[in-house]
Amino acid sequence: MHGTMPLLSALNLKKTYVKHANRIEVLRGLDLDVAEGEFLAVIGNSGSGKSTMLHLLGTLDQPDDGCIHLEGRRIDNLPAHERDQLRNRTFGFIFQFYHLLPELSTLENVLAPAMITHGVWSWWANRRDLRRQATEMIERVGLSHRLTHKPKELSGGEMQRAAIARALINRPRVLLADEPTGNLDTANGQHVMKLLRDLNQQEGLTIVMVTHNLDLVHDTDRVVRITDGRIEQAEKGLTPTFASVGADK
Amino acid sequence: MYKLLLCWRYLKTRYLAFACIISVMLGVATLIVVNSVMNGFSTKLRTLLHSVIGDVAMESQSAEGFVDPVGKIARIRKDPYLNEQIESMAITLDAFAMLQYRNPYGEIATRVVRVTGVEMKSRTEVGGFHKNLARQKSEAMPSFDLPKEIRAAYEEGERQLRLQQELQQKDPPMPKFDPPVGIPDDVLKIFNDAKKGQPAPAPIPAPMLTPQVARVPQGAIVGHLIAHFKYRGDDGVITEKCAIREGDRIVLTTVSSGEKLTPVYDSFVVVDYFQSQMSEYDGNCVFVPLEHLQTLRGMDNRATNILIKLKNYGEAKNVKDKLAGMFQDHGINVNTWEEKQGPLLRAIEIEKSILNILLFMIIAVAGFGILAIFSMIVSEKTRDIGILKALGASSGGVMQIFLSYGLLLGVVGSLCGTILGLTITWNINAVENFIAMLTGSHVFAGDIYYFNEIPTDVNTTAVVIVNLGAIAIAVVFSIIPALRAAMLHPVQALRYE
Repeated sequence: MHGTMPLLSALNLKKTYVKHANRIEVLRGLDLDVAEGEFLAVIGNSGSGKSTMLHLLGTLDQPDDGCIHLEGRRIDNLPAHERDQLRNRTFGFIFQFYHLLPELSTLENVLAPAMITHGVWSWWANRRDLRRQATEMIERVGLSHRLTHKPKELSGGEMQRAAIARALINRPRVLLADEPTGNLDTANGQHVMKLLRDLNQQEGLTIVMVTHNLDLVHDTDRVVRITDGRIEQAEKGLTPTFASVGADK
Repeated sequence: MYKLLLCWRYLKTRYLAFACIISVMLGVATLIVVNSVMNGFSTKLRTLLHSVIGDVAMESQSAEGFVDPVGKIARIRKDPYLNEQIESMAITLDAFAMLQYRNPYGEIATRVVRVTGVEMKSRTEVGGFHKNLARQKSEAMPSFDLPKEIRAAYEEGERQLRLQQELQQKDPPMPKFDPPVGIPDDVLKIFNDAKKGQPAPAPIPAPMLTPQVARVPQGAIVGHLIAHFKYRGDDGVITEKCAIREGDRIVLTTVSSGEKLTPVYDSFVVVDYFQSQMSEYDGNCVFVPLEHLQTLRGMDNRATNILIKLKNYGEAKNVKDKLAGMFQDHGINVNTWEEKQGPLLRAIEIEKSILNILLFMIIAVAGFGILAIFSMIVSEKTRDIGILKALGASSGGVMQIFLSYGLLLGVVGSLCGTILGLTITWNINAVENFIAMLTGSHVFAGDIYYFNEIPTDVNTTAVVIVNLGAIAIAVVFSIIPALRAAMLHPVQALRYE
């Protein structure tokens, strides 16, 4: 299941936000390896840099220093259009506030990454297949009765499940989840966590989940804590190295 | 694909965008209407002026005219080039005159007119003169002759007038006056004399009696607006009424030619109306037989104009130069019809250009509206832009969404504007009448604007240019908001509250 090389690795990541005269050092040399098929939980206090790390890993932002590799290939300094392609095809994002497009229906929201991938003609040629795939994905997250509903007509749990379906439509290598249950009640939170666990276990999807809810980390393979902009320690599992985690699985 | 989908959804859900569409629509509609009216005005004026003046006009520099117009025509015909180019020529004689007629209330009315002597056959051959005649427009060869019914109307009118005059002579009305308080002595004397039945030395000269002639007068063609007047009835409806009917006798008083100007006059019978739809002509011109006017003014074998129709108007400049050279010492000006009406035609073109610039500025104002509204929409959609970028949309793709949105607004606005503009243009007179009914005054007064009805001419090229211009403005003004959207940092956009 796992190779010798981490799927995703961050080395000495540094990120500082400057606003007017204020400098906020968020990441101060963060090192992290994520093995293929791993379900990694990243915990830490508010403002510790969890989301920033996730944005850097997903190429939504660029580090001030350090580097990020995907299967040994450096990705943080790629040209913008290549990073756009990575976000579209290799990474899937789930956000705390779902971030669905309000003008589009559930089906259209789920199809959005595929629409970005395909041009007009390519979309037109493959539209039936793509719609079928999206419908299957929506069925899998249990939203087949909400295909044509707009986000404002969905509950929080439904919106998050739609967001998960959207993140999976292009079959990404890594799912980056930023507080996926942070805005949900316990039942919906457990539902979403079960869905993520199933995806990880049944399809071997690599998941990096950021959370501050320690109750959620039981289902994950490994937990790391960010303190003062660095990975402090392994909270769960034998060792923070990917090889050990892989063996643990 | 997502660009088109979002673009369409934004158009359907952002009602603010309809403000952009309406502003573009109104700008385009206004431009189309104004352009079509100006074009129609210009085209109709050109057509009518051309038909009234001919292709080339030889004009005497003096009201005395030039001698031997027939000989001049013969000389022109002897030139092989001119003979080849010229299709027909007509001699005319212009003069100012006083026109007198009895209005429907039996009162004598007088007005200044321009009387033109024409030889009907040659004048008809030169251009569309007869097409402007109310009664004889469909006749191949119109004339000044009195047809039966007009002659009968004339004789009946004369009989009625004679009866009325005889009646007045038998029983002259005796005015009864009470002297007003404070009346001056000299005026009081007039009142007292009137009481005694003595004829008063009228302070205002009595109207001239129309000359009584035994013969049947010559026919005359009177401008439609001289013979008709409009008034608003109690119900607010504007009605046209005839002041000089066909068969009515009119008197034209002009001056003789020569060193000493002497008033000369003669009676004519109205046989037709000149209805060119140009108030300049319809309100001023009276046409009479050329030979008769020449005789009346003592200008035998003299004329003031030779109007020329060419086989090919493209040769007008060469013909004009040749004629000018041929008659350079004869006190004759030679001009093409465009040169003759140059200032008017240029004024229309300049007016059209200025109006176009001003109206495009209106669309530019609409463009600033698009800029403002788009900026608001980009702010409103900041988080959506972050989501799209997180899903892999490129900055160029995001920019294209808003540029396509601008393009779509421009296209929809232009399309609606074109439909509205063409609808108004094709029903412009009904619209004008409706506005006149509401406001009580005509926007387009025929006596000011040459024509009784608003002429229109839709120029397809102009409509296409207006549409493309409006769409271009909509796209150009959406560039800045689109750039702003494209440059948004995805993380900051996602965190935007």
